[in-house]
Amino acid sequence: MLTIKHLNFNYPKSRSVLKSINMNFEAGNIYGLFGKNGEGKSTLLKIMTGLLFPKNGSCLLDGYEMGKREVQSLQHIFLVPEDFELPSISIQSFEKVQSCFYPQFSQKQFYELVKEFQLSPTDNISKLSFGQKKKVLIAFGIATNTKLLLMDEPTNGLDIPSKSQFRKVMASVVDENKCVVISTHQVRDLHSLINHVMILDNAQVAFDQPLHKVSDGLWFGKPSSNDPTELIYSESSFGGKAIVPRLDKNETEVDLELLFNGVLSAPDTINAIMNQTQHDERV
Amino acid sequence: MKEFSLSRIGQFIRRDITIHKSTFVTGLLVGIVLIFLFCIFNMMWDKQLSTDEFFGIFGLIYIPMGVLFTFSIFKEFNDAKTNQLYLSIPLSIPERLASKWFTSTIIYTLVYSILAIITGILALLFGIVIFDADFNVPSLFSIEYWNVLKVYFLVQPLFLVGAISFRKNRIGKTLLFLGILVLGFTFFNFFLFGIFNHNHGLFSGETLVSEAFDKTTADFSGLGRWFYGLLLGPLMLIVAYFKMKEKEV
Amino acid sequence: MEFDNSKPIYLQIVDFFYENILVKRWAEEERIPSVREVAMMVEVNPNTAIRAFNHLQDLEVIYNKRGIGYFVASDGFTKVLNIKRKEFMEQMLPDVFKKLSLLDIPFDELKNAYNQHKNEKE
Repeated sequence: MLTIKHLNFNYPKSRSVLKSINMNFEAGNIYGLFGKNGEGKSTLLKIMTGLLFPKNGSCLLDGYEMGKREVQSLQHIFLVPEDFELPSISIQSFEKVQSCFYPQFSQKQFYELVKEFQLSPTDNISKLSFGQKKKVLIAFGIATNTKLLLMDEPTNGLDIPSKSQFRKVMASVVDENKCVVISTHQVRDLHSLINHVMILDNAQVAFDQPLHKVSDGLWFGKPSSNDPTELIYSESSFGGKAIVPRLDKNETEVDLELLFNGVLSAPDTINAIMNQTQHDERV
Repeated sequence: MKEFSLSRIGQFIRRDITIHKSTFVTGLLVGIVLIFLFCIFNMMWDKQLSTDEFFGIFGLIYIPMGVLFTFSIFKEFNDAKTNQLYLSIPLSIPERLASKWFTSTIIYTLVYSILAIITGILALLFGIVIFDADFNVPSLFSIEYWNVLKVYFLVQPLFLVGAISFRKNRIGKTLLFLGILVLGFTFFNFFLFGIFNHNHGLFSGETLVSEAFDKTTADFSGLGRWFYGLLLGPLMLIVAYFKMKEKEV
Repeated sequence: MEFDNSKPIYLQIVDFFYENILVKRWAEEERIPSVREVAMMVEVNPNTAIRAFNHLQDLEVIYNKRGIGYFVASDGFTKVLNIKRKEFMEQMLPDVFKKLSLLDIPFDELKNAYNQHKNEKE
């Protein structure tokens, strides 16, 4: 659906933020975009929305260049930025003046979500806390029913019950026609939602795999001391968890935090094993 | 997919007006009060409010306030916290530009003119009762009114470009830019004038020559006004289009 | 739902289904929540929920009536009972036995504890 090819980006007078990025986003998935602070996650989302222009390469939504900001591409994408400000009007007025630009917008869905988030349509947005404003925008973004929904750190500023509400809501909205990309460093909040992991490191894509492939190839947990398989990555903390090649072991749940740290410290080993697994599948 | 839709422009105008309602209302109220006070002061002086005087007051508030409005509806465009949302609204650039221009010129002028005329008439009635002033209703069909409008429609696109281009101190920077532009044009005109009229010995410093200089300038400016009036506005709108196109967050 | 990190989430959802069937919250031949409802209930990606549904369908614990939804199979309860019994005998008991010998607990003591527990319950 959205294809990024050989994309380079840097801000004026600064080093490269993104270097020869190739990515492909397909409907029916929730992508988790991870990376250390300042690794270009937000930048990438902005380029995907056409708010920044790539220096080289392309970012196409169904064949249309996002940087041109044409109506027909903008109608299919919604970005919930990390930091934003909404107009000082009621939630209801905001919906009235803003929803008309999205042909697939569902009023019913929007007000259901507003209710789910315990907000009232007559609340004035300027009197809400940042977390509540975020909920308004998340509800709006979901209700636009765009093919692509991008969220930059959506759980930042949400309290613990709201995070659970958020997961519930997200679990209900994804279907085979929708693609969601969530950029975050709060892996724990979202690990049950994501089914495809992308990790940015050193301005490049360090890892890009669907989770079911990851759990096919890698095993996460505390290996027994007499296990002869080589550790790919281990944490020396108490109860030291580790990543090892799965081979014929039982499937484990992917520990995203462990995977993230593993990819940052041993990207080549992990990617080699992933490619090996894929190769085996093909055979 | 149509990239230019009148209904989207209409919806966007409605959005701008809804979002900036309080700014607009406050601004217009301040404007009305000022017009009323200026009219009263004017009548205290000579017991009359001529069309000329009324539209002088009208323009004094109309133009600066219009410029302020233009900047306020573009605030969203340059603020880092709001422009991501603003720029991702599905709307083409000509639509964005057309709706902003329409709001800050046509709608603003219409609303302001009606309010200003009503205020003027009220002030006049007040003046008749208090100071026994002459009755002279300001009319929208007077040449003075259209002259004020012409000036606004000429300079507004320039401020529109300023509102789009600068992130901080937008008004100050635009005024500075305008000043430089005017200075530049003056020198340019003076230079052209010098080239074409050099052989008439206009620069000898005598009074008579200086008068001739004044007359020629007036003549030349008449031509220039047409030239700049017809070209500067549209040119600035084109500049605004490209500025919007290349805008990044 | 709180997830245990060692087991794939889809298998934990499967366990959640088993429990509902074993305690008869979901009766045989009764319609169970849809994929989307389950995904929402346990806050997971619908793809993960689908995997759980497929797994249960393969085991013939549930079946799909096209256009209507998923139902517990007519012998669903027995099937789950067998699956869970097998799981208990093969996976949990060896661990218990290992602990028993490690802590040197005689089998009679275990038997007594079991009977006591049963009486208390009654």
